[in-house]
Amino acid sequence: MKKKLPGHIIRILSLMMVVYYLFLSWVTHRAGFDHSEALFLSEKLRLLFETDEQTLLILGTTFPSIPFLSSIVFSPLGYLFAPIACSILFTVLLFYFILMDFNEDSSFSPRLFLPIVLIIFILHPGIIYSATSGRSNAASFFFFYMVYRSFFKFYQTQTSFYLSMSSIFLSCLIFCNFNFIWLLIAFFPFIVLVSLEGLKISKDQPPMNQYFEAINIRSQRRKLTNRTVAIYIVIFMLPFGAAGLFYYLNNTHAANGVYFLSSQYANWRVTGLDFIDGLLEQFADTNLRYQTQLVFQGYALLLTPLLIGTLFFFRGKLYETFTVISPFIWMSVILLSARYYLTIEYYLFLLILAFTILIFKISSRHKKGVLYPVLIIATVLNIGTGILYFKRTNDVLETQFYSVLTNSKTWFEPRTESENARIARFINEIADEGNKVLLDDAAAYTIVPYLESLKKVVLPLQESFVTVVENPPLGARYMVVAKRVNKLHNYTVLNAYNLALMQKRINLQPLMLLETDNWVVYSM
Amino acid sequence: MPLCGLHNMVTAGLFSEKKLQDAEAIANDYGYATIKAALNFGFLTRKEYVGFLEEEGFPLIDIRAEELDLLYLEQCDLQHLNAFLYCPVRMEADGLLVAAGDPMDEKLIAGLSSKFDCPIKMVAASDLDITWLVHKYRGEYYVKEAVFSLMRKDPESSGIITFTDPQLISIFGMIMLFFVLLVVNFVKTAIFFNLLLSVTFLFAILFKLFLALRGSQSELQESVTKEEVMAVDNSTLPIYTILLPVYKEDKLIRKLIWNLRALDYPRDKLDVKLLIEEDDDKTLNAVRALDFPANFEVIVVPFHMPKTKPKACNYGLFFSRGQYLTIYDAEDIPDADQLKKVHVLFNKLTPDYVVLQGALNYFNKNENFLTRMFTLEYSYWFDYMLTGLQTVDTPIPLGGTSNHFKLDKLIELGAWDPFNVTEDADLGVRVFEKLYRIGVVSSTTLEEANNEPFNWIRQRSRWIKGYMQTFLVHMRNPAHLVQRIGWKGFFGFNFFIGGTSVTFLVYPVLLMFFFVYLIFDLTAVKALFPPWVLYVGIFNFIAGNVLMIYINMLAVFKRRYYELILFAMLNPVYWLMHSIAAYKGLWQLIYKPFYWEKTNHGLTKMSHSSAAAAASTT
Repeated sequence: MKKKLPGHIIRILSLMMVVYYLFLSWVTHRAGFDHSEALFLSEKLRLLFETDEQTLLILGTTFPSIPFLSSIVFSPLGYLFAPIACSILFTVLLFYFILMDFNEDSSFSPRLFLPIVLIIFILHPGIIYSATSGRSNAASFFFFYMVYRSFFKFYQTQTSFYLSMSSIFLSCLIFCNFNFIWLLIAFFPFIVLVSLEGLKISKDQPPMNQYFEAINIRSQRRKLTNRTVAIYIVIFMLPFGAAGLFYYLNNTHAANGVYFLSSQYANWRVTGLDFIDGLLEQFADTNLRYQTQLVFQGYALLLTPLLIGTLFFFRGKLYETFTVISPFIWMSVILLSARYYLTIEYYLFLLILAFTILIFKISSRHKKGVLYPVLIIATVLNIGTGILYFKRTNDVLETQFYSVLTNSKTWFEPRTESENARIARFINEIADEGNKVLLDDAAAYTIVPYLESLKKVVLPLQESFVTVVENPPLGARYMVVAKRVNKLHNYTVLNAYNLALMQKRINLQPLMLLETDNWVVYSM
Repeated sequence: MPLCGLHNMVTAGLFSEKKLQDAEAIANDYGYATIKAALNFGFLTRKEYVGFLEEEGFPLIDIRAEELDLLYLEQCDLQHLNAFLYCPVRMEADGLLVAAGDPMDEKLIAGLSSKFDCPIKMVAASDLDITWLVHKYRGEYYVKEAVFSLMRKDPESSGIITFTDPQLISIFGMIMLFFVLLVVNFVKTAIFFNLLLSVTFLFAILFKLFLALRGSQSELQESVTKEEVMAVDNSTLPIYTILLPVYKEDKLIRKLIWNLRALDYPRDKLDVKLLIEEDDDKTLNAVRALDFPANFEVIVVPFHMPKTKPKACNYGLFFSRGQYLTIYDAEDIPDADQLKKVHVLFNKLTPDYVVLQGALNYFNKNENFLTRMFTLEYSYWFDYMLTGLQTVDTPIPLGGTSNHFKLDKLIELGAWDPFNVTEDADLGVRVFEKLYRIGVVSSTTLEEANNEPFNWIRQRSRWIKGYMQTFLVHMRNPAHLVQRIGWKGFFGFNFFIGGTSVTFLVYPVLLMFFFVYLIFDLTAVKALFPPWVLYVGIFNFIAGNVLMIYINMLAVFKRRYYELILFAMLNPVYWLMHSIAAYKGLWQLIYKPFYWEKTNHGLTKMSHSSAAAAASTT
């Protein structure tokens, strides 16, 4: 009989993880790191609660919806903290479920699985990054795990409960990262085999004989077709239904069905991703050079030794093998259209997959002498590859985070003020309700969360914004303009180009009050 | 030893000694005349017996046409009259004329002679006519008990009053408040009620989804295994009463007998009662015309309003002798081992389980759109929802048939409410209120799915009206209900019993809003409802529909009805039919609360065997 970990120990460990991640998020924040996606979500929360205009549009179209809506729960703790609290929550939930599943469903003893899980969740920089940065990745990881967990549980039990749960979690996953809609394509190939498993055809025969019977006997073929179609429908119905409903609502209320994907006001990814064109000069010896078809999957696998170790012991049926392969198929589809750098989450999904396989498909009794050392070594190696990833990343924010995280000397030094916070402090000092600041949160969403009050600014969601942009002195005294070097220069109307036009058109005479690397604050 | 007609039949070589012994054993166990046991337990056909009586010089008289002197009949107890199949007709010059099922029953003759202290002149009459007559004239006390017993013992649980005064005051108060609010602020009131309706709609469906998912977790669990059923020792089985309330089901009688014969339960321990209404000569004659032995006892329910199935069942209870009791409809095809499973499960469960619900499904599922939708609905209801309800410990509304009771507990609970048209759902809640429990047995009874739209609406309007009645009865004192069943039970009851009717009533209203907004894009609608209200409303409506379709889709898995999955997409149409039925039910609740909308059975062109054959060849 397997020795189990008492439930309260898992709960205590989870609470300790909360404290650990809270601490790390605090120190990285103190050291000046704030992720722009977290700031984007913070800004939307602020707009939701502090303005009366476009409430519906903010609530209904801000994407990814699940991390955003979950952050609302934490907004009383502070707009800046809410997305971070949300990412900590999802990471710890993932930690909790993985431990619980190891404890209940796997054949491993706590002596093995506890070190593996703790090492990964405490030391892996990618996991720490997801937990403490306030990004939506944490929610994606959690739902990704739940989808595959449900699949493997369905294979074990053959009850429609887990099939439904996989469908529900898949919908949630899509609403954390819309790219996962392509995962449905990856599920196509193996559903037929899954459905065959559910039909009681010559169970004692080899699989080939079962396939032969299922395809050549008319009644069996009909049953197989019906069951396959039924499983497809049950898995795909909710994700497609939810996406369709969301499209319809966007179309009705924003006059654009894909507003949630294409608008910089609704989706951080529109402005937050690093496009490959802009990164080509950093091509040599970085992760970017491996982000091509086939190479990427191999590279991601190489950076996940735990999955390699797990696959080494994996013995499954054909459909289980296809299930394991499906994230790789998904990656291929992503690479077809992705023109941006694939950040850490696209690697970490494989790590989550490794846990799923380890829990549900690896027996600790199989090659025990080799299994334990291999898994422990792979886990330790996984920390190393995580570090390697961050050292070679092309993402500025990931680099910044890693540098802050590894430079512990800066943790307790006097608080470092970020560029966004500095501008916000300046606006807080100069502006009041009579002397407002014109701000376009398409690019300046990183500044808004630091402001003292939204009453001092004119934002695009306000009806007066269009008028004020046409003739700024009519509604504002100051203006925050994106410099040409600002990565988001092209996403905002308040950029250097439009400023030049304004000067020409209405004879505007702006006076520069503050200049930072990316922004200039003018007085009009 | 006193002789009876059957002894003479044995002597004449028309009946075997073995059968006689078996019939006598049953007669002793049940306290019946031997002829009653022989005619009702499948030993003898009525036609054979009538032929024998004529040969013996006892031609049947038409007792229903005879002049009856009630003075003598009233001196006899109905239970005895019914058990020994006789009826004192009138006093004649040469003695008391008594019509009997067995005019050669010496024990009966001796007993009657002693009772009336006069010579007895026996004539033969049909046992069915005697039964009809004695119940008609001597069943008054029993039928009144069947109707008013619950009202007398537990007035709080009786549905004789549809709306209590406080309920009426609350309902009209709310309507008045609604109008006052409309006058004070039309737009805000409209917004509030729009949101209330759409949120209730979505919440009720989410609750159903939750229950269905909970239920699907135990999809493959068998509460009783085949091995456990195989291990049952027949000699230890108790008497099992089966009530078969019928009304003008003459076409189904033959089918009924075959279905009962298929039950794997000792014949002598099956106490089957066919409950026929007094004015239902069609069914009575169909029984009379049978040319093979019947395996049920006919009980004639005397006329009394309300003319409902629960009243008939309550009446049948007085003549039931089983330790367990179940109800089947005439067209039902229960799993052969269902009764044994129930026995095993009752023995496994704690004593507070007093009723077990079997799953219902349909044998004619592929007949048309309605039968397909009905099958999907029943599949998710019985296979998922009821199991889900059981896991969350909230009241389970029992299904119309295949609910198996412990008879003593059923009587203790006050049996069925004759004023409630979904007496089974009401009883389910009452069981929960009295702190007993309901279990779900993994056994199926196949029924005939309603395949005709108007017939379907009639049936469904009764069900929805019954749910409304049940809701009103148990919500007479909400605080008291919470006290008895707890908040969880209260919440479950409100959303499952109350919410079901409300969602059907609300559905067309939401649908209308949706289409007005979608097609006409009326400025007035936009002025009335700000965009966020429309957003929430549309979200709730579409999400609710999608989820309901999804729940229906789940239903196909347990029974492998995969071919029906696409029909789940038509659920919104099916719901519209529910809404029509709901409004009809609401109208009847107000004007004809106790009216029993009769569902016509036997409309299907498919039999169970033809359906099974069709399934196996495809």
